[in-house]
Amino acid sequence: MIRSDILDLMNMVMKKRGREPLADEGQSTREAGFRSLDFSEVALRIESKVGRELSFEAASMRQIETVKDVLDFFEEAIKG
Amino acid sequence: MHTQNQSIIVSGGSRGLGLHLVSRLLEAGNKVATFARSHTAAMDDLSAKYGDAFYFTPLDAVDAPGVTAFVMEVSDRFGGLDSVVNNAAIGQDQLLMHTDVETIQRITNINIVGPTLLTRAAIKHMMLSGGGNICNISSICGSRGYAGLSVYAGSKGYLDAMMRALAREVGEAGIFINNVAPGFFESEMSSVLRPEQLDTIKRRTPSGSLSNDENIFKVVDLVISGTTNMQGQVVFVDGGITS
Repeated sequence: MIRSDILDLMNMVMKKRGREPLADEGQSTREAGFRSLDFSEVALRIESKVGRELSFEAASMRQIETVKDVLDFFEEAIKG
Repeated sequence: MHTQNQSIIVSGGSRGLGLHLVSRLLEAGNKVATFARSHTAAMDDLSAKYGDAFYFTPLDAVDAPGVTAFVMEVSDRFGGLDSVVNNAAIGQDQLLMHTDVETIQRITNINIVGPTLLTRAAIKHMMLSGGGNICNISSICGSRGYAGLSVYAGSKGYLDAMMRALAREVGEAGIFINNVAPGFFESEMSSVLRPEQLDTIKRRTPSGSLSNDENIFKVVDLVISGTTNMQGQVVFVDGGITS
């Protein structure tokens, strides 16, 4: 999966929740309304696509502030 | 009946309370899947009676890949997964000081690791499908002290604590998770008690009688119906002994 695939999944979840699409990578996840449960849903959808489980500490999720952080995080997680 | 037209997994449904839950949920028109380590004749009877609405496979509850595959298989067969009842458990009738390590591991595996793995697989599925209901069969032993049941009680207390944490984790995703905690009820597990012990329990129970499988089913039926907005609760079905 490439970065744009992850962003597509994030926007799919945003749309499902009735929220506006993410504007750019610098956008704050808090301001965009991208919440921790949305993060988990994206993680599960990535798991389905890559065919393996992603495991990470809740603490690392709490350090995420921007859309870029989410994308970086999942890119690393996928590399495993 | 409150639960109808659902796709449901009940762990440990080959006998005892689990078999009763499976049978009653099937009677109401639900599709029900269950697993246990061993096959029983009752599984053949239910297959013959309910055909594709019933699915049984032999499975060890602590086989994580097997449990995940089972959840996916059930979802494929039934067209989704609405509810899970974590019923499988084993009892105990030993003071801790006289309980061997193997027994402790066996109880914690079946009563703790098993339901945790099934719940984990189910909530992953439910997260992506828009929600669902999870009901753990806990016990009054999870909240009250009874000699001879320390490991079993610890495992049930674990289920109560995990349930409350999960209600916070996944409640927002439309997943309702609650526990039903029977008191001592007429079952294989209470069969280890002597008649005089059962009489004492009945005497101390405000309702004057032990709960039975059908009493417990009626509450499980309501809990997994998806109609109550109840979240993160333990419901006692014990004739009032914990009141």
